[in-house]
Amino acid sequence: MTAITASRFTLDGINRGLPGFARFCTYLGAIIGVSAYAMFGPDGYGDDGLLFFLTASSFSWIGIGALAGLATGTALGMAKPSITESKASVNIVPFLDGALLMILLTAVEVLFEPAADAYNYLDQSNLLSGSIIMTMNVTLLASALLYITHLFAPASIVGRLATASAWVGIYAGGSALLLRWYESYMLDVEIGHAPVSNLYEVFILLFCITTIVYLTLESRYKARAMGAFVLPLVSAGVFFGIWLSAHGHAEIKPLVPALQSYWMKIHVPMNFVGYGSFAVACGAGMAYLVREHLEKRGAKASLLAVFPSLDQLDQLGYKAVAIGFPAFTLATILGAAWAAEAWGGYWSWDPKETWALIVWLTYGAYLHVRVSHGWKGHSLAWWTVAGFLVTVFCFIGVNMYLSGLHSYGRL
Amino acid sequence: MKTQSWFKPYFDRLSSMSLAIALLTVLALASAIGTVLKQNQDQADYLTQFGALWYNVFVSLGLFDMYHTPWFFGLLVFLMVSLCVCLWRNVPVFLKEMRSRKVVITDKSLKGFHHLKRWKLDGVDAAEAKATVSKALSDWSQKSEEEDGRLYIRGDKGRSHKWGYILVHSAILVILIGGWLGAQYGFRGTMTVVENGTDNTIRFLKGTKTDQLKMPFDVRCDSFFIDFYPTGMPKEFRSTLSILEDGKVVVDHKDIIVNEPLFYKGVRIYQASFGDGGSAVTLKLVDPTSGKSRSINTEVYKTWKDPETGISLEITNFRPFNIENMANPGEAKKFHDLGPAVEYVVRGPNLKSVKVKSFMNTFTLDGQNRGHMIMVSLTGDAGDYQAYPLGLDFDQPTDWKLYTAFAEALSKRPDQQGKEANFAAFREAMTKVFGDQKRPDDFQERGMRVLQAMGSLSSLPWPYIPMLEDYNQMYYTGLELTQDPGMNTVWVGSALLVIGLCIMFYVPHRKLWVVLKAEGKGVEITLGAMTNRNKLGFENEFNQLLTKVDEALRPQNNNRSAA
Ligand code: HEM
Repeated sequence: MTAITASRFTLDGINRGLPGFARFCTYLGAIIGVSAYAMFGPDGYGDDGLLFFLTASSFSWIGIGALAGLATGTALGMAKPSITESKASVNIVPFLDGALLMILLTAVEVLFEPAADAYNYLDQSNLLSGSIIMTMNVTLLASALLYITHLFAPASIVGRLATASAWVGIYAGGSALLLRWYESYMLDVEIGHAPVSNLYEVFILLFCITTIVYLTLESRYKARAMGAFVLPLVSAGVFFGIWLSAHGHAEIKPLVPALQSYWMKIHVPMNFVGYGSFAVACGAGMAYLVREHLEKRGAKASLLAVFPSLDQLDQLGYKAVAIGFPAFTLATILGAAWAAEAWGGYWSWDPKETWALIVWLTYGAYLHVRVSHGWKGHSLAWWTVAGFLVTVFCFIGVNMYLSGLHSYGRL
Repeated sequence: MKTQSWFKPYFDRLSSMSLAIALLTVLALASAIGTVLKQNQDQADYLTQFGALWYNVFVSLGLFDMYHTPWFFGLLVFLMVSLCVCLWRNVPVFLKEMRSRKVVITDKSLKGFHHLKRWKLDGVDAAEAKATVSKALSDWSQKSEEEDGRLYIRGDKGRSHKWGYILVHSAILVILIGGWLGAQYGFRGTMTVVENGTDNTIRFLKGTKTDQLKMPFDVRCDSFFIDFYPTGMPKEFRSTLSILEDGKVVVDHKDIIVNEPLFYKGVRIYQASFGDGGSAVTLKLVDPTSGKSRSINTEVYKTWKDPETGISLEITNFRPFNIENMANPGEAKKFHDLGPAVEYVVRGPNLKSVKVKSFMNTFTLDGQNRGHMIMVSLTGDAGDYQAYPLGLDFDQPTDWKLYTAFAEALSKRPDQQGKEANFAAFREAMTKVFGDQKRPDDFQERGMRVLQAMGSLSSLPWPYIPMLEDYNQMYYTGLELTQDPGMNTVWVGSALLVIGLCIMFYVPHRKLWVVLKAEGKGVEITLGAMTNRNKLGFENEFNQLLTKVDEALRPQNNNRSAA
C-alpha cells in the first residue's frame, strides 16, 4: 500500500487540450513580446528594470505578443490536436498561471501602499512588503507544523490545510518580493532594482522556490509526508530571515556598480531553483531515512502508510536533483558569463564560485553513484542530505566565513 | 576490442564508474582546500600564521596558489583522460543501441518488464487490430514485424536520450580544453592609469610573484568620473579611455563602466576599481601654541619631511566626499557629507606614529559650527578612527584671538574654577577681542569652540597640526585587461552541457511493445513498456496507454469507426 496513487493532475481539464495550449502560447507570446521590447523597443532596456515594464509602449508590445501567441496557439491546436497534449505545455502552463496570479495579487497590494510622499529611504518601516513577508513567515511556519501533525493524523483535514498554507506562503512571499521591487523604485528611481540583491531578499526567493518545487512533487505524486521534512527546512530559513531583518539586513539598499547588470536578474533566481530543489531532495532523503528507521523498529502500519514507499522516496529525491542539477549548472554558467562581463574572466576561483563547483561535483557524483551498482537507497538518501549541507555552506557559510568577490552578500 | 592487450585492465578501470565518482569527489575536496586557505596572500603572513614547519609543507604542496599547481592540473588531465576513454567505449555502444531497434521480443524478455499487461478481446481480427493500435499510438515512433503468427509493434519515444550522455560528457571535455587554452594563451592583469596619463603594462600574479606584460597599445585615461548615492556608496564609476597605437589614436574617448567593458583587438578592458592618482594637496600647518601657520604643497603617496623638527607626513589618501551616518545608534539614518579630507601618517622623533584624517571644512552639528576636526587612528587601521574635535575654526582669525584671550583671562583666576569663572573669563576675552562693539550673534557658538579647544589643542603632542587647505584632485582608474582565446570554446561547451543535461533528464527513452496473437475468435494483446528515467511518472503514463489501446480495440469502437 502506497501513498502515491495514479491520478496525476487534479486540474487536468484546463491545462490540457486547446484551452491549455492556447494559454501556453499566449504566455509565450507575451514573454517574447517583452523580450523583443527589451532588445528593440524605442528606449531599449536601461537600468530602470521595473519602470521599463510599466511603460505604455511595453504594454503594447506585450499585448501584441500575447495576441499573436493566442492566434498561433489556437490555429496550431485546431490544425493538429495532438500538439495540445505536448508535455511542455501541460507541465508549464500551471506555473505561468501562477505567475500571472502573483502579478495581479501584487497589483492589488500596491493599492494599500502608503502615499507617495510617505516613502522614505531612511525609514523603511512603513512599507507594506514588510508585513506581507511577515504573513509569509507565519503561514510557512504554520504549514510546517501542520505537515508534521499530518503524519500522525493522515485522515484528517490537517494535510490539506498544510498544503493550503504552504500555497498562501508562496503567494505572500512572491508578491512581497514583487512589491519590494516596486517600492525600491518609489523610494528613489536611482535606487530601484530587482529584489535579488542581498541575502534577505534571496532568502525569501529561496523559501518560495523550495516550496514550489516541493508542492509540484506533492501534487504530482501525492507525497504529502515529505512536507513534514521539507517545510521544517524552510522554517529554519524563515527564522534566519527574521534574525536578518531584526539586525537591519532587511533594508532596501542601493546597488553597488558590480551588481547593476541584467545578469543579476537571471543568474540569481536560477541559482535558487538549484538550491531549492536540493533542499527538496534533502527532504526526500530524510523522509527515506526516517521511514527506513521506522520499518526497522516495526512502527505502526498506519504511520508507515502515510509515507511513500522507500523506492518512491528514492525516486522523488532523484526527481528533485534532476530539476536542480540542470538549473544549477545553467546558473553557474550564467554566473560565469556575468563574471566574464564584470570582472574580466569567467572563472576566478573566488570562494563562492569554487563552492558552487563543489556543490555541482557533489551532485554530479550522486548521479553517478545512482547509475553504478552496489549503492542503494540508504546511501543515496544520506548523499542528498550531505549534499544539501554542502549547498547550505555554499549559500551562507561562504558569506560568513570566507571572503571574496561575492562579498556584497556578507553578513 | 578483440585484442586482449596488457593495457586492457587499465583501460577498463579508467572508464569505470567508480573512478568517475572518485575523481569528482577528489576534485571537490581539493577545490575546497583553496577556499579555506586564502590564496595568494603575502608570504610573511602565511609564515606567521602557520609557523615554519607547516609553512614549508604547504609551500611544497603549492597550497597557497593551488589552482595553478601541477598536481591540480594533473587531476583535471586525469579527468579528461577518463572522460575520453569513457566516451570511446560507450559512444559506439550507445549509437548502435539507438540505431538497432529489435521488434520481435521473446516472452521471457517481456516478463522482465516493470509494466506489463496481457488481456483478451473477442470479435477482433488481429490484422485489423494492428492497424488500430498503430493509429492509436501515432505519437510513438513505430516499427512492426510478424513472426510465428504473432504481430509485434514496437514504439519508441525519446530515442535521442543517449545523446544526452554523449553531449554532457563531451561538453566537459570541451570546457576543460577551453579553460586550458585560456590559461595557456591568454592573460589577465591590472593596469592603473592616472587621469590624463598613459600606460601600456599590465601586472598580474604569477604563482606567488607579480609579473608584468606589455600590451601592443597604449591606454590613455582622458577622464574619470564617479557618482555617489546619497548614502555615500559609489553608484557608478566611469572612465573615458582612448587607445593609441604608435602614438596614433585608434579608439577615441570611449566610456567604460563596470559591466560594460571595451573590446579592442581581442583584448577586453574592464573598469575594475579606482583610487587617488596622486592629488596635489596644500596643507596648512597650524602651530597650536602660537596660532601661526604656514602652508606646504605635497601630493598623495608622497612623504613630506620637515628638516627642522624631523617630523614626516606620509600622505596616504585624499577623498573629496566623506559621507557619514550622523545618527545615534537606533535612530533613523542621517547621511551627511563632511567634505574633503586628506589622510596621512605622522611620524617623528619621540612621537607615536598615528594615522590621521584631516578635514578641510569645519564640522557642523545641528546647524552650529563646531570648528575644525581631525580623526585619529592610533593603530593605523581605518576602522579605528576616533573623532578628535580641535574646537577652533582656523579660517576665522578671531577664533584664535578669542582662544588666547580666554586662556589669559583664565590664568588670571588661578583660584577660581567652574562655570562661573569660565563665564567671567569668556566675557573678559570677548571684550578684549571685540572691544565695546556689538558682540557677534554667534558668540555662544564661539564660546563652545573655545572651550573645546582648551581641552584638545594643548594635549596634542605635535608641534603643528596639519590641516587640509586646498587640493587639486586627480583619480587613477583601475583597469583590468584580459585576453582569453579559449572563452568561446567554453561557451560552446557550456551550451552543449546544458542541452545535454536537459536531454538526459527530460527526454527519457521509453519503449513499448504490443504483441497481438490471434486466439479463437479474438485476439490476445500483450502490452509491455519500460523507461530509463522518471519511473514514478511512468506508472501513470502506462495506465493511460493501456486505456487508450484497450478502448481503441473494443469492438463497438471498431463498429463506430466502420459506420
Ligand atoms: C565533471 C564530470 C562529469 C559530469 C558532470 C557527468 C555528468 C553525468 C550525468 C549528469 C549523468 C547522468 C546520470 C543520470 O542519468 O542520472 C552521467 C552518467 C554517466 N557518466 Fe558522467 N559525468 C562526468 C564525468 C564522468 C566520467 C569521468 C565518467 C567515466 C569515467 C563518466 C561516466 C558516466 C557514465 C558511464 C554514465 C551513465 C550513462 C548511462 O548509462 O546513462 N562520467 N554523467
